[in-house]
Amino acid sequence: MKLIRYQNSPVYNQLANYTNLRDEMDRLFDVAFPTLTLLQREGILGDWRGEFPVDLYQEKNSFVVRAELPGFRKEDIQVEVADGTLTITGHQKTEAQAKDKDAQATTRETRVSRSISLPENLKLEKIEAAYENGVLTVTLPKTEEAKPKQIAIQVK
Amino acid sequence: MNNLLTRTENGADVQTASRRTVTPKYEVKEIADAFVLTALVPGVDRSSLELTVDGSKLSVLGRRAFSAPAEWTPVHREIPQADYVLALELDHRFNHEAVKAELSHGVLTLTLPKAEAVKPRRIEIKG
Repeated sequence: MKLIRYQNSPVYNQLANYTNLRDEMDRLFDVAFPTLTLLQREGILGDWRGEFPVDLYQEKNSFVVRAELPGFRKEDIQVEVADGTLTITGHQKTEAQAKDKDAQATTRETRVSRSISLPENLKLEKIEAAYENGVLTVTLPKTEEAKPKQIAIQVK
Repeated sequence: MNNLLTRTENGADVQTASRRTVTPKYEVKEIADAFVLTALVPGVDRSSLELTVDGSKLSVLGRRAFSAPAEWTPVHREIPQADYVLALELDHRFNHEAVKAELSHGVLTLTLPKAEAVKPRRIEIKG
């Protein structure tokens, strides 16, 4: 049994601790009304929003975030930490290829973003991010205090 | 375009030992002399991607290379623990031998050239 810090809102489940409510609503609508979303989108790489999945892990020495963001270039991905929240943004503009049979001279813009609220006791200046095979991995090292320690207590 | 590429549910003999499989998101576009299939396979690297063309059957098997080490405790999970399987039936409009593939940042691009018979031809008028 572990004591968990009191969370103010009983409506939120565990998930809401980590993900943005608006993103969750978007996701819910995507699942409930898939055709609506399809209409908004222009192809799979088109204008999709708040849709990429995220995994969060606690590791002994760090907190790890993995996000599947296929089709971006490294320089199109932005990782920001502000006010205890990690925000991952992918922003990409692609020129439509003129070779296409039915190509119009349009640019296609993709913007995806997700915010994750971080646990305390992380060394925010030591964050590392890597992008490989369309997966972004952000490693946030814990401060010394946050690492698990074994304390021997003498029983009198 | 509907019958162009038929997805065969278990047509191709793709076997993944015990892992769950999902169909990747994909789209097909037509360009002048080919059809271009784009599939999203994040987490798959070149060595864990298998592409086979067997007669008219095209199959893509992509294994997610990453699995979390045992000492990592998952706090929240959304990324499915599944491999990608896409099995398609190519019809006569494709040149089956000349399929080209490219994998970049988790996006697989397959160029499926059109068969000579369906390319537009200009017919000279004599006389």
